[in-house]
Amino acid sequence: MHEIKMNRKKDKGFESPRKSVIGFVELTIFPTVVNLNRIKLNSKQCRIYRVRVNDLEAPFIYNDPTLEVCHHESKQRNLNYFSSAYTAAVSAVDPDAGHGELVIKVPSELWKQGDEMNVLKVYIEFSLDQPKGGLHFVVPDVEGSMAERGAHVFSFGYQNSTRFWFPCVDSYSELCTWKLEFTVDASMVAVSCGDLVETVYTHDMRKKTFHYVLPIPTAASNISLSVGPFEILVDPYMHEVTHFCLPQLLPLLKHSMSYLHEIFEFYEEILTCRYPYSCFKTVFVDEAYVQVSSYASMSIFSTNLLHSAMIIDQTPLTRQCLAQALAQQFFGCFISRMSWADEWVLKGISGYIYGLYLKKTFGVNQYRHWIKEELDKMVEYELKMGGVLLHPTFGGGKDKDNPTPHLHFSIKHPHTLSWKYYKMFQCKAHLVMRLIENRISMEFMLQVFNKLLSLASTASSQKYQSHMWSQMLVSTHSFLKSISNVSGKDIGPLIKQWVDQSAVVKFFGSFAFNRKRNVLELEIRQDYTSSGTQKYVGPIKVTVQELDGSFNHTLQIEENSLKHDIPCHSKSRRNKKKKIPLMNGEEVDMDLSAMDADSPLLWIRIDPDMSILRKVEFEQADFMWQYQLRYERDVVAQEESILALEKFPTPASRLALTDILEQDQCFYKVRQGACFCLAKIANSMMSTWTGPPAMKSLFTRMFCCKSCPNIVKTNNFISFQSYFLQKTMPVAMAQLRDIQNLCPKDVLNFILDLIKYNDNRKNKFSDNYYRAELIDALTNSLTPAISISNEVRTVDNLNGDVRLILEEITRSLNMEKLLPSYRNTITVSCLRAIRMLQKNGHIPSDPSLFKSYAEYGHFVDVRVAALEAVVDYTRVDRSSVELQWLLNMVQNDPAHYIRHKILSMLGKNPPFTKAAESPLCNEALVDQLWKLMNSGTSHDWRLRCDAVNLYYTLFGLTRPSCLPLPELGLVLNLKEKKAVLNPTIKPEQGPDTTQMTGNTMGVHIPVMGFTSSEDEIDMESPHDSQAFIHHHLNILERPSTPGQHPAKHPAVIILVHNWAVLSLPVTPLPSFSKESTSSSKHSGDHHHHHHHHEHKKKKKKKHKHKHKHKHESKDKERDSHTFSNSPASGRSVRSPSMSD
Amino acid sequence: MKSLMSNSARSGCGKATSSSAENYQLARRRTLQVVVSSLLTECGFESAEKATVESLTEMIQSYISEVGRCAKAYCEHTARITPTLSDAVVTLNEMGFNVDTLPGYAKRSQRMVITAPPVTNAPVIPKALIAGQKRTHPSHIPSHFPEFPDPHTYIKTPTFREPVSDYQVVREKAASQRRDVERALTRFMAKTGETQSLFKDDVTAFPLIAERPSSIPYLSALLPSELELQTLEETDSSEQDDQTDSENTPVNNLNDDPGADKENSVLPAGGVVPLVKVSEENMIDNPYLRPVKKPKVRRKK
Repeated sequence: MHEIKMNRKKDKGFESPRKSVIGFVELTIFPTVVNLNRIKLNSKQCRIYRVRVNDLEAPFIYNDPTLEVCHHESKQRNLNYFSSAYTAAVSAVDPDAGHGELVIKVPSELWKQGDEMNVLKVYIEFSLDQPKGGLHFVVPDVEGSMAERGAHVFSFGYQNSTRFWFPCVDSYSELCTWKLEFTVDASMVAVSCGDLVETVYTHDMRKKTFHYVLPIPTAASNISLSVGPFEILVDPYMHEVTHFCLPQLLPLLKHSMSYLHEIFEFYEEILTCRYPYSCFKTVFVDEAYVQVSSYASMSIFSTNLLHSAMIIDQTPLTRQCLAQALAQQFFGCFISRMSWADEWVLKGISGYIYGLYLKKTFGVNQYRHWIKEELDKMVEYELKMGGVLLHPTFGGGKDKDNPTPHLHFSIKHPHTLSWKYYKMFQCKAHLVMRLIENRISMEFMLQVFNKLLSLASTASSQKYQSHMWSQMLVSTHSFLKSISNVSGKDIGPLIKQWVDQSAVVKFFGSFAFNRKRNVLELEIRQDYTSSGTQKYVGPIKVTVQELDGSFNHTLQIEENSLKHDIPCHSKSRRNKKKKIPLMNGEEVDMDLSAMDADSPLLWIRIDPDMSILRKVEFEQADFMWQYQLRYERDVVAQEESILALEKFPTPASRLALTDILEQDQCFYKVRQGACFCLAKIANSMMSTWTGPPAMKSLFTRMFCCKSCPNIVKTNNFISFQSYFLQKTMPVAMAQLRDIQNLCPKDVLNFILDLIKYNDNRKNKFSDNYYRAELIDALTNSLTPAISISNEVRTVDNLNGDVRLILEEITRSLNMEKLLPSYRNTITVSCLRAIRMLQKNGHIPSDPSLFKSYAEYGHFVDVRVAALEAVVDYTRVDRSSVELQWLLNMVQNDPAHYIRHKILSMLGKNPPFTKAAESPLCNEALVDQLWKLMNSGTSHDWRLRCDAVNLYYTLFGLTRPSCLPLPELGLVLNLKEKKAVLNPTIKPEQGPDTTQMTGNTMGVHIPVMGFTSSEDEIDMESPHDSQAFIHHHLNILERPSTPGQHPAKHPAVIILVHNWAVLSLPVTPLPSFSKESTSSSKHSGDHHHHHHHHEHKKKKKKKHKHKHKHKHESKDKERDSHTFSNSPASGRSVRSPSMSD
Repeated sequence: MKSLMSNSARSGCGKATSSSAENYQLARRRTLQVVVSSLLTECGFESAEKATVESLTEMIQSYISEVGRCAKAYCEHTARITPTLSDAVVTLNEMGFNVDTLPGYAKRSQRMVITAPPVTNAPVIPKALIAGQKRTHPSHIPSHFPEFPDPHTYIKTPTFREPVSDYQVVREKAASQRRDVERALTRFMAKTGETQSLFKDDVTAFPLIAERPSSIPYLSALLPSELELQTLEETDSSEQDDQTDSENTPVNNLNDDPGADKENSVLPAGGVVPLVKVSEENMIDNPYLRPVKKPKVRRKK
């Protein structure tokens, strides 16, 4: 059992709240090996006051190698070096490998009891002051008490980040039960995992203590906390579900949550399993790290998901977020993962059942559209960046091959992944689950899930000693075994292709019809040489729509066969007036005049069910695409044909698209897509286009008054399909261009009239999104100004049309100040429009407006839009001032999401790239970015990876070219396994050679003068060792790192007794592996920290913190034997050779 | 005096119809003034302020008018139309004037003779506006009865214009009205507050109201504005479903000031309990709705 007590301090009356936490943790450990004399825990940024083991003071060492990845003095600036060092640093504290930042020496008095395997109770007192990660304090700067100000705090993090706010074994595979106590101000509510047992006032009645008990074994990484003056809503349908939101938002919460019970019902029904926890809590917080994060029995959401009944667009999005959160409650929180390599199973299952929910709630069309969207997104990413590997295997040091040499980061740890990669990883995971479903049927699939859940819930009610808890962890192996047990099918090849291997398949298809043989000669080629692609061998489904009906054919893709002959069924040439049967059994009349008289083929589709992770480029005649668009009922086929028709700007295409637009049975997203395609076609057909501008008459017919066609009807958004179409059409129309490449005057006036006559008074829904899209339409209509030399843009030479546009934008933006729209959608659109006006040279390019909107204190969407404009300005104007301003914000902004967003936007729209020269690219910038990723972002894994990404985009993998040659001609390049001359000359190399293996921490031990008994040490890889030696030396050589910035890094080492400074050689632990740290330098270090600590302590006393901790027993039970599959278990029994 | 005369004469020439009545009155008024002046002289005043004379004139005119009015009333009371001497005497008596003294006063020696007012035409009664044809009496009404008044006095005569019901114009009007209001309002706000500008050369063109960071930006961005709420109520008031409201009254400690009054902070939490008890069958057992416990005495080891 794991117990945490925390006193969260937020002082009233002080101008600046302290934002601090004081707490203690008590872990109960069941040693499984005899000589447990050293315990390793994860802890970051916590200031640890004392550690006691079974009431004996225990010495400890705190060393966080990820604080500063590469040595401060190092002149190394190449990313390869950084990546390997970072991976090594993360590995060095990887809890799955038994490592940790905090090493506690078990007092020797307790050693000899080893035989009896006595329970050890580890008690740690710690505090957190102004934490930079892990916990986020939101304290609005207004008058009043903390509660009146809506001040709140919540835990956050990317993957296992619990170590940021209390010392723990921060792994998803270390389960234990929990008792949590939080003492907070009486006006606050503390929401955490498990059941709230009671709430008790403190003796002075100023504070309350919330007592939580979580009897279900849960990993520390799934523990969360949020505290604030929340308004409480008990779900009217399910009383064990409680919702929390910030003050004043209760009406929105009521509406937004009114749907949650249906999601519950859905999941419980398909999984035939009750929700595993006895309660569920949803908390909506401001400045959320991500929109949705799930923890054991609670989920933390962004407050911006809340909406009123008037809002259309946000409603499905919010429901989707809820559904995702709930799916992760089952798979992710209740069932946890064995190791990082098994993450894909959990993400896959939760994503898959979320997909089932989508299908049921939003319909099959929406579901298939979503699958296609996800597939396209993922395929695009893999083709661009190289493959995404779901189940990386790191062959225990023997396999030196990096599974992903194409990436500039290591995928060995979640904390080294780029955020985008992780998103694509999740995407691929659920797509692969869908492939498995295709293979074994949904029924079996759900049975497998049910089996996993029922095993887990049986295990969860058992005592720790029963060694059953490992059933609550899922691994790739156990998952696959379940599948084969349940279905009896072998999905090995599928797993091998998509899970154990990265990359996707790229097909090119074309065909010819052989009239004599009445055979369709289909040619399917593959590109498996370019990056991100793999070769596919196996079945592929082809659907051929002929005059006589639709036929499925399964072809075998083999090594060398490209051509496939498919016999056609339709013998008859053309049977006039006969209805044509479609795949779904429907029979329709078609005008067949467009088709080739000799061929019975209407259209052909390759892999229509998306049962391969692929990209298909298929060639067929334009009329076939048109038939496909009109008559194929699958939305995916319709969307594919819309995309294809862009290349066929003919009146027939135009007609097909217009017909689709008018057909209200057609899925609205297809119709939206048709709008944009029609605009493109119209532009290509500019010279032959007849009639009014595309879509204008259609829009008039659908949405304008009968009596006065220039005036739009008053808004009535009851029909959502029409609403979405009404929103989209003007935006697409604005993309039309005339012969001068300007937006036709007609169209512009039309849009201006839409804005003018917009009347929402009779509408029950808000029109904010519609108005925002009308502004977007104005933005789309903009074309570059005719520039006469490089004159300064002034009001006087403003083009007349632009003046009208600008007037609308000004008015809308100003009105937003008086009557703000939901999520400030209109401000967002206006900011984009202004940037576009600047970019096109209509108004002077100036970032100051955007910078003011980007400041903290605006709604997050507005900030992001403004920052996007600043990023764009930085690139276009190559402004180093703005770049500095942005980077400054990355370091200092209170909102983590904004920091992340800036870096990812800079990565997407970089001020320069490694390919091009730029005045911005200079040594100072390199140093700055290097510092940012090296030490400036140690509090947020995601941000550090963002910084790495940006560095990669700007400078590539090798030493940035703008740097002067290193002073030493000879550089020890650890990646290259050798000393090389100036690495700037070296071409880029994948970081593969630097890949660390799971046991690497063992490698450095010999250097320290110890011998290691670990049999997995790979002494054959000298380069790896070197990297590690080097790295480790770095660690040792910077005694001052934590101490240097004590204010910034409160995670200092605190020693209770000076003698603990002694170096502590490794002793075996059950699941805590050894770490050897060395002596002399550390001792100095410790003194330093000790003093520092003393100083802080005094300060604390001044503030008169009184914490009455109730000491209760809590125990963290662990037994590595239980987890036979745990990576830690392999090393659990170690020889005591290195004990003191 | 002369100039006055000439003035009135001139004005009399100027305006034919209306001034004849004026002239008539002016002439008599002037006579009254002469009367007052002579009475003053008689009493021994050598001079008098014009205003005084004017006031006295006004008083005397009122007195005479009142005498006339009362006399007429008396005469009409007795169903006559022309007052007689006795009517006048009764009136004077009624007003507290001793009629017996009148002959003596009239014959006093120092009285001054006043010229009669100049002869002016009696004022012409202006013709009533004749609008339309007067109706003749219907047959059952004897002809001696008064004539019908002018038709305009009893016939509806609409004076407003037909309201514009053309949809297009209405929309047009509503749109431009709204736009004008918005523009005026935003211009006003821009003029009276800080602004940001898109142009450097002319900061007044397209003024943007300066953004102002808010401490709690999500509130204004998420909560519907009052205007929207109003619209919602108008369009759909039936949809409200507040059934759950009473059950879920949150433990709202927001307004507590724990520093000042600790006891108070207990109340809201406790306040929920009776509420829940009211609807016993709907009772929700949710740990967050339970009252906060008082600390136990010394639970420490």
